[in-house]
Amino acid sequence: MIEVKNLTKKFGRRRVLENVSFTAEKGQITCLIGINGVGKTTTLKAIMGLTPYKSGTILIDNEPISKQVYEKITFIPDAAIMPPSMTIGEALVFMQDFYSNWNNERALELLKFFNLKEEFRIAELSKGNTAKVNLLMGLAIDVDYILMDEPFSGIDIFSREQIANVFTSHLIEDRGVIITTHEINDIEHLIDKVILLDNGSVLKEFYTEEMRSQEGKSVIDVMREVYRA
Amino acid sequence: MNHFFKLLNFEINRFIKIYASLLAIVIIIQTIGVAVVSNSFVNRANEMMMENRWTQEEFIKSNGKMSFSEFMNSFWFAGPIAIAATALIFYIFLIWYREWYGKNTFIYRLLMLPASRYSIYFAKALAIFLMVLGLVGVQILVLPLENELFKVIVPNALREVLAVKDLIYTNAITMVLIPSTFTQFLLHYSAGLMAVFTLFTAILMERSYRFKGIIFGVLYCAAVLALFSAPLFIAAMLDMGNMLYPMEFLMVEIVLGFIASVCSILIGHQLLTKKVSV
Repeated sequence: MIEVKNLTKKFGRRRVLENVSFTAEKGQITCLIGINGVGKTTTLKAIMGLTPYKSGTILIDNEPISKQVYEKITFIPDAAIMPPSMTIGEALVFMQDFYSNWNNERALELLKFFNLKEEFRIAELSKGNTAKVNLLMGLAIDVDYILMDEPFSGIDIFSREQIANVFTSHLIEDRGVIITTHEINDIEHLIDKVILLDNGSVLKEFYTEEMRSQEGKSVIDVMREVYRA
Repeated sequence: MNHFFKLLNFEINRFIKIYASLLAIVIIIQTIGVAVVSNSFVNRANEMMMENRWTQEEFIKSNGKMSFSEFMNSFWFAGPIAIAATALIFYIFLIWYREWYGKNTFIYRLLMLPASRYSIYFAKALAIFLMVLGLVGVQILVLPLENELFKVIVPNALREVLAVKDLIYTNAITMVLIPSTFTQFLLHYSAGLMAVFTLFTAILMERSYRFKGIIFGVLYCAAVLALFSAPLFIAAMLDMGNMLYPMEFLMVEIVLGFIASVCSILIGHQLLTKKVSV
């Protein structure tokens, strides 16, 4: 389980996260939702140790982040993160070299799934293909948790469908996923848990199934209620 | 350790094309330089002998023989070394900043590798160090060949023959690059490594605290410089030129350099682990 407890972060004098607490379980898809600038990406980066924070605790299966924990969790950011001079094939070799839990079989399967070729150069990829390569690099590591930052951002509807299909495939299996997205329609039916953020704080936290069955509301209904209030 | 060597290999491969071009620049410019300087001397000698109806002996009596060190003291020799040195100093900054500001943000992947952050830090430092050594190595290999070219162009009677070893230890640049003793080698290259670690720490300060970090970085570099030159200043201020014997002075400098390097590495690692932001 990923546990975030009282996470607080400041950029200069501005408080970006204030006492953010939530948990994300293995085998569930947890979605961090909020308008731009509420601290969704910062939360993911803090979990991965990519940005310092003022106070709070982050535990992954009861352990703080360390090089050993990086074998348990992966982050798929909304940016190209492999050197542009590399081809996809070279990037796969790089990952295989460094990750003992790299699953090359799955990497090749994803390559086929996304219609990518090993000889494609990273620098020449479109936004959609960059997102797919990021996803491939993250999903081909045998980790327990995957953090995804805006995987649908700025890409065409067909690529979005392809990426959404990943969530229903065996590629996710029983891993824990924390995802941030504005394109909630694409994955609303897949989400188990929602954390609504506003001004760096958790406004509401709920399980989608419970919300649907007990209050008859979709994620978008709740968002309208919370953010328009 | 395995990850460290993989990262080192990766860092070297990323720069290898530019580095090979740098080596090529050094070799080509110096080779052209030997030809230009030697031919110019031979042409001048021939012209003067013709104009003044001098024999070779009379020319030598008036102008002296040409030594290979004349080439080594010219821009043709020092220029390409300066270009390569400048490129490597620039690379100390580029090796970090390209991870954030390149077309892709590779720092995400680097920091997420299941490798110690020391590995990232030392792989970058050692990559630069090996490139400096490589450059010096190529210079050592090329120098005798350039000397041979010089011998081919300048007639026997007009040239002064010096062994390559003597040439190295009479030139200000090669004396620093190719020290004559192992102790000097350790001193020169440790000082170089200390400078690299100091700059790395200043860069990581900027990456951690952004604008404030630039001020911290500049202050840190100034502090290291002050620490390293403190014995000289103290001796001068107290008017005690002979306060320490040369060997004692050397030992003090070694200890101070060691302290500065360890501080830089520890601060750099702390910043890379706890403060640096993507």
